[in-house]
Amino acid sequence: MSSARTAASATGWEELEELARRDPAGRPYLERLLVRWAEEAGAAGAALYVERDGALRRELVAGEGSFPGRLEGGELQGGTVHRVDGGAVAALGAAGPAGGPPPQPATLLLASALRALTLGERLKRQLFQESYRVVELESLYEVGLAIAATLDLDQLSEEILLRAVSLLDARRGALYRREGDDFRLDRTFGGDAREALAADAPELAELLAARARASDGEAGSSGVPAGPVGLLPGARHLLAVPVGIDGRPRGLLVVGDKESRRGVGPFGASDRRTLSMFANQAAIALENARLHRQALEKERLERELELAAEIQRQLLPEGAPEVPGYELVGWNRPARTVGGDYYDMLPRDDGRIALTVADVTGKGIGAALLVSTLHSALRLSIGPAGDATALAARLNRHILDSSAANKFITLLTAELDPATGGIAYVNAGHNPGLLLRAGAGREVVELEPGGLPLGLLPGSAYRGGTAELAPGDLLCLYTDGITECASPADEEFGVGRLVDCLAELRAAPLPEVVAAIDRRTRDFADGLPQLDDQTLILLRRRPA
Amino acid sequence: MSESLRLEVDRRDGLAVIYTEGYINNQGGEEIARAAYQLIEGGHQTLLLNLTGTKIVNSIGISILIEIIEKMMEIGGRLAFCCLTPTIEKTFHIMGLAQYAGIYPDEPAAVHGLAPGAGDGPPAGA
Repeated sequence: MSSARTAASATGWEELEELARRDPAGRPYLERLLVRWAEEAGAAGAALYVERDGALRRELVAGEGSFPGRLEGGELQGGTVHRVDGGAVAALGAAGPAGGPPPQPATLLLASALRALTLGERLKRQLFQESYRVVELESLYEVGLAIAATLDLDQLSEEILLRAVSLLDARRGALYRREGDDFRLDRTFGGDAREALAADAPELAELLAARARASDGEAGSSGVPAGPVGLLPGARHLLAVPVGIDGRPRGLLVVGDKESRRGVGPFGASDRRTLSMFANQAAIALENARLHRQALEKERLERELELAAEIQRQLLPEGAPEVPGYELVGWNRPARTVGGDYYDMLPRDDGRIALTVADVTGKGIGAALLVSTLHSALRLSIGPAGDATALAARLNRHILDSSAANKFITLLTAELDPATGGIAYVNAGHNPGLLLRAGAGREVVELEPGGLPLGLLPGSAYRGGTAELAPGDLLCLYTDGITECASPADEEFGVGRLVDCLAELRAAPLPEVVAAIDRRTRDFADGLPQLDDQTLILLRRRPA
Repeated sequence: MSESLRLEVDRRDGLAVIYTEGYINNQGGEEIARAAYQLIEGGHQTLLLNLTGTKIVNSIGISILIEIIEKMMEIGGRLAFCCLTPTIEKTFHIMGLAQYAGIYPDEPAAVHGLAPGAGDGPPAGA
């Protein structure tokens, strides 16, 4: 409350009685009572001082004269001071009893009103403190519930820092998040803060362990460690608590300089308890938001992967082209959403058909991107019929130019002349194609590699080969996802079991053969997840 | 984020609006009080505190705002707040400010509520 000067004029007891009845601690009553006191004391002016925070502070002034804001030592130069319970009355220019006993009963009434005033102020302070305690509890509650519903990590971090600064009556603050072995600054309020600090820094451990610490300015005098240098540059008093779950620190909450009406001071033990409780609640809310962000990111990646898978499916043939006198089927199942296997069944203008299987090193998005590159290159580079080796050389150059150094592609492309059953092929480091001859035996001709995988070395040369598909013969082009499918005993499915399957079902419709190979590899894996992409092309010349 | 409070005062017929931006703490509260007491001395008896730019207030700031409310009550004037964040509005209700000062969601509503004849007491809150 600021002091007020009131006009000195005659004040009757009736008026005072009326004012006291309205509010015995009210300013109008105090002002008129002080005027009456000054009149009775024969003083030119009087001032009422109230004891607050250990000092006598001026509350009211009546009449003339200059009264200091505080009565130092309880004395007034050139005047008299009469102590009353809870304060004092000072008089200047006293004509009557100055220096002698104060006037009665005005002094008694003034003392009584002063007691009512200080009691009222104390009650008001207590009510304020209790109300603010409710605000603190409300904040803790909201951080646990309402804020926990805020899943926006940035918004939540901002809210947590602002509430911490506000709750602790701090002038400034900072929120850090744990990244590896360090705490990294997430955001700050009210000034700069150090960008990062080692989580195991001894001075940080001391700060976290301290009940309340003074920083640079007072460290020398109090002997209290200052905490990490420049944590909140310029702050005189620091309080820091970890933000953690199950004892695992996820962050750090720091506030600086506790405010009061007289300036700033250190934080107390209750502040530390409040901030610790707040940080515990905040940790859960932050963890929820972090997990939510992760889930959103995962969902986004899954959507992108699904889109990539859809694009990749578009690269593969929708169905097999009709080739009179032949059965043809293609099949692919990636190990992940997108894969690194590729196959194509491309009819040529002259009636020939080009069959291609390929396998990109690696799996996932990186492999899928290279599959896309291969598809474009194959469609753009394919030349005249019978040009398979030149095609392989062109593809090798293209893949070398457009892929990472450690990426390469195995590829087998075979061109069938349906009229003759003749096959011209080139195998760039791929699993040999299997040509199972008709009849009851297991005679197999392998379409052997004639060069290195595409993209491995510049200037690679390729040697082609030929074969002939007789009526009843079955050609199988595949990727190693089938033959290297592993059992729980870590045994591979192998080429032998693939040939067995082809031989047993040599007369069955090709979709049934595909289904049988799929079933047998799954049975062989006995529940183990598919580790590699699987691709098949089956071509059978109908029996004459 | 700025620590110090910035103020703007818009004097109108019968009403003065104080716009705040920043932290209402000890320093910020004192600045508001200084502006408010100057307006009162200048004859303004109706004040509106527009807190659009304030996201944070501490207990010292609140105690100063209460003193301003008390001063307004002493002179028979009226004080209202508008554009509070949900957190600040809840704090004002808990601390009892809403019993003696109007709290409005926006400035037009506050201006309407403070207009002569609009009502004697503060509204129940936003």
